Amino acid sequence: MFTPGSKYFLGLTGLSLVVAVLYVALVNPSDLGAIALLGLAISGAMISGFSLFTRDGDAFSVAEAAEANAVSPAPTFWPIVFAFGSALVLLGLATNSTVFVLGIAVLVGGGIEWTIQDWADSSSSDRELNNFVRERAISAIEYPGLAAVGLGIIAFLFSRVILAASKEAGPVIFIVVATLILIGGVTVATKPALSGKRLVSVLVLASVVLLAAGVTSALMGERTELVVAAKENHYDASNRECGAEASEHYDHLANNAVAMKSAIAATITVEDGALYAQEIGLTKKLDTVTFSRATALTVLFRNLDAEEHRLLVNLGSAKVGTTDVMEKVGTCTQLTGKGQTQAMTLKIDTHATAAEPYSFTVPGIKGEIKLVVP
Amino acid sequence: MDTVSNVKSSRHRIRNTIAGVSSALFLASCAKNAPQDIFQPKGRNADLINNLQWIVFPIAGIVGVLVLALAVYIFIKFRDKGQPIPLQSHGKPVVEIILTIVPALILSVVGVFTFRAIFDLAKTEDTQMVINVTGQQWWWEYDYPAQTELGITQPIITSGQLVLPVGTKVLLRETSRDVIHSYWIPALNGKKDAVPGRINLLRLEADKPGIYAGQCTEFCGLSHANMRMEAIALSKEDFAKWVANQQKPYTSPADGTLAKEGEGVFLNQCIRCHQVNGLKKADGTPAIAAPEQNVYAGAAPNLSHLMSRNTFAGATYDLLSKACRKDVWKAPSETIGAKYLSGVSESCLNQTHLRAWLRNAPAMKPMYADPTKLKPSGGKYRGMPNLGLTEDDIDKLVAYLLTLK
Repeated sequence: MFTPGSKYFLGLTGLSLVVAVLYVALVNPSDLGAIALLGLAISGAMISGFSLFTRDGDAFSVAEAAEANAVSPAPTFWPIVFAFGSALVLLGLATNSTVFVLGIAVLVGGGIEWTIQDWADSSSSDRELNNFVRERAISAIEYPGLAAVGLGIIAFLFSRVILAASKEAGPVIFIVVATLILIGGVTVATKPALSGKRLVSVLVLASVVLLAAGVTSALMGERTELVVAAKENHYDASNRECGAEASEHYDHLANNAVAMKSAIAATITVEDGALYAQEIGLTKKLDTVTFSRATALTVLFRNLDAEEHRLLVNLGSAKVGTTDVMEKVGTCTQLTGKGQTQAMTLKIDTHATAAEPYSFTVPGIKGEIKLVVP
Repeated sequence: MDTVSNVKSSRHRIRNTIAGVSSALFLASCAKNAPQDIFQPKGRNADLINNLQWIVFPIAGIVGVLVLALAVYIFIKFRDKGQPIPLQSHGKPVVEIILTIVPALILSVVGVFTFRAIFDLAKTEDTQMVINVTGQQWWWEYDYPAQTELGITQPIITSGQLVLPVGTKVLLRETSRDVIHSYWIPALNGKKDAVPGRINLLRLEADKPGIYAGQCTEFCGLSHANMRMEAIALSKEDFAKWVANQQKPYTSPADGTLAKEGEGVFLNQCIRCHQVNGLKKADGTPAIAAPEQNVYAGAAPNLSHLMSRNTFAGATYDLLSKACRKDVWKAPSETIGAKYLSGVSESCLNQTHLRAWLRNAPAMKPMYADPTKLKPSGGKYRGMPNLGLTEDDIDKLVAYLLTLK
């Protein structure tokens, strides 16, 4: 019943399973070694199954062997890819998720290709016809798949270049590349007689340049301000320090991270040491703005003075947790340089009391903008 | 024979149904009492739309009738009578050019008028008054920012009925707290979506005093059909009176009255969601509503000066009795302001609906207010729940609410 090959792999499966159980029990259940031993047991079991199913590839009779060998399938490397995918999946389980996902992709890709190949090989004894059948079936998957992978690689490499380039150089690079693509496209469209070799040469050259630029940029890393911004963690509320002085965590290169929103409830401006507000539809300068309760609304802070300033919103006081200790409620923008603007989105759930009215203030600037939540 | 009769009978039924529905639709277009009729503009912006539709609709109608007639003629003339299939040819340049140029010319004419109307409607630079409009399942909130030149020295908040002065270019700044709604008072302008996180602008201007009905026109959930609104256009003098009344400080009912007891019920029950500006708790501290703890969208209608409005529950129900409401709605434009400003008196109060609402609000208007089914909204209501008030509490509350003039 058991073929020689299957016996060997069944032995391997049993041994690795026993060792894995001992390892889990005696050493460490969540250790890399346990996963590796279990992986070995699973692999051994799979190969045992294959050996049993194919009877080690042996034929029962000469006639059967002759018939089986009359039409040999085309040699293919998809089983190797599939096996490589399986190895990557196991390695990924033991190391990190990226390798695991890559393994799944290789496993699925190799599996589909192998299945189609096998199905095509069984359609006739004519290899050419089988190849034709395979092409017809797989092209609809292969071409879009390869195109997606190619576009992904291009986007990844190009994004490395843009992230490494300075803020000023980025748009220039973008415009130059877009212009070159446009010129290339127009040339190909208007000159159908263009030599294929020339076109391929240009594409190969462009690929080499992109690869070189992408790899170099990735090695250089992102531009300094992005690295600093990530380190400062601007969006962590615990790093928010709302005084007039520069904060330790919160203010460096702040204006590079501003998202200008199109739906602005009010704009608050510092100009010549004074503070005023403007609202859509009202042309005059205001000292009071009205925000609807429990509604997400955005206010823009614009600094027209030479010194850096930040905008504070003061929303009264509230109890800290279940204690009776009161603390000020509010938030602020980051320090904003001359001529720069920041956006602050607020959602205020309750209206103010007469004792603690809501307001916008700017440290270092006299006056305030009253904030009414009716 | 029976089969032939059945077929004839079925054809008769279909023909009669089509004729009946067509006649009903045709006759419906002759209705005079149609407060949301798009062909009865009462302001400049609605006029612009009306003028445009009187250009576009006839052109579209003529084109539609011609195309339909031609299609019917071809169906009948060239129907299959067993004749041989005609010679098939590809393309007729002259016909193709004509069929391209004629629609292009028609669309160009329509386009010129349409674009002019769109740009006219989008003007905001000559705005004379601003009102913030916030949509929420299923009612509209209006807050008037301070605008001293209009006498609004402190913000006003109301709901259900939008009050505006005639002959004034009013800019609505629309947003929403939960889902997308759409604001539409057909007599005063077209529709504009109220979208969470955005502020969309809509200009209204009424030519003369009157009450103009509207309806939310973006499906927004269970009670979308009950999310109504009314715009009340008042003369400038009457509007000034309305503003003055809205800014009056809160007056607590006299001690020992039923209304005073009602204030207590309000403080116990209603203040959880509904604000009455100026209301104080027994210890003298301000009574601040906390709808954010109970309502999914975070707000409930502010009931300050409730009885200066004619509707409640998202303008679904009238605060005025039928006769009193008719008296206001049918009043000529010269007197409608005075009638509206008189508010809701005890004799005019629609006690039936108000009491039914206080008794069991979800029975009056479909809402997500069943306490056993609040899991999807994190335990918060969308709409007003049944508070389980006693009839005694309801008597007191009605007496109290009547004082909120």
